[in-house]
Amino acid sequence: MEEVGKNESIRVLLDDGTVIAEGDIDLAGGPLLDAAITRVENAHPLIIDLAAVEFIDSSGLRSLLAASRRAESRGTRVVLRRPTSGVVRLLTITGTTEQFDVEEASPA
Amino acid sequence: MTAVSPPINSTTAAAGPITLTLPPIPTMVRVGRLTASSIASLSDMSIDDIDDIKIAVSEMITVLIQSGSRTNITLRFETTSAEFAVEASTPSPANDLGRNDLALAIAVLDAVADEHHVASTDDRIMIRIVKRLAPIPADPSSTTRS
Repeated sequence: MEEVGKNESIRVLLDDGTVIAEGDIDLAGGPLLDAAITRVENAHPLIIDLAAVEFIDSSGLRSLLAASRRAESRGTRVVLRRPTSGVVRLLTITGTTEQFDVEEASPA
Repeated sequence: MTAVSPPINSTTAAAGPITLTLPPIPTMVRVGRLTASSIASLSDMSIDDIDDIKIAVSEMITVLIQSGSRTNITLRFETTSAEFAVEASTPSPANDLGRNDLALAIAVLDAVADEHHVASTDDRIMIRIVKRLAPIPADPSSTTRS
């Protein structure tokens, strides 16, 4: 497992092609997540593990949506693995759940 | 970062407003929402409502930073017995408030706040949200027996 980015909001790791986000995906954390996603962008599918995400807002969601759009253009999908209830709620209230494959969601 | 406030305590719902001034940089989004969470927790709000406040304040600060603000952002928190209100403002022109990014933020504010209002003039942007406080149920243990 390799740490590829860390700041006051977020810690991002790569583990065998899976992006792992820990902490807050917000305006400060989003760019580090973007950079990590870019490193494994050719993965099919692109898996992002969100089990340790403590907070996400719409600026963080934009990072995930941008990855989804790029994945779609390559004919693949983004898998959100183990999203926390906060992530699931944000996807629901913004109507963006269908943009992703959600795997092993935590109970809301 | 400068906090200017009169003290607030949990037994005084209508304590005076609290203001917080933040530089318009991304790391301050977290500072703003954690401060909001602390203040909201003094208002007998549920955990879910406090989470809603954190999300709302994060969205508000983010919108103001992404509008191109280069001057400090002021957050003003005000609690009454009926509601918790937050106003975020910056004296910058609203260069980018028409972007699609705003639509996503507004969708989130729609879901987490009971009221929200975005106003921009030539020299100021202001976002205000209101979260209504649920009435506190009567404590059955305090019932007087005859």
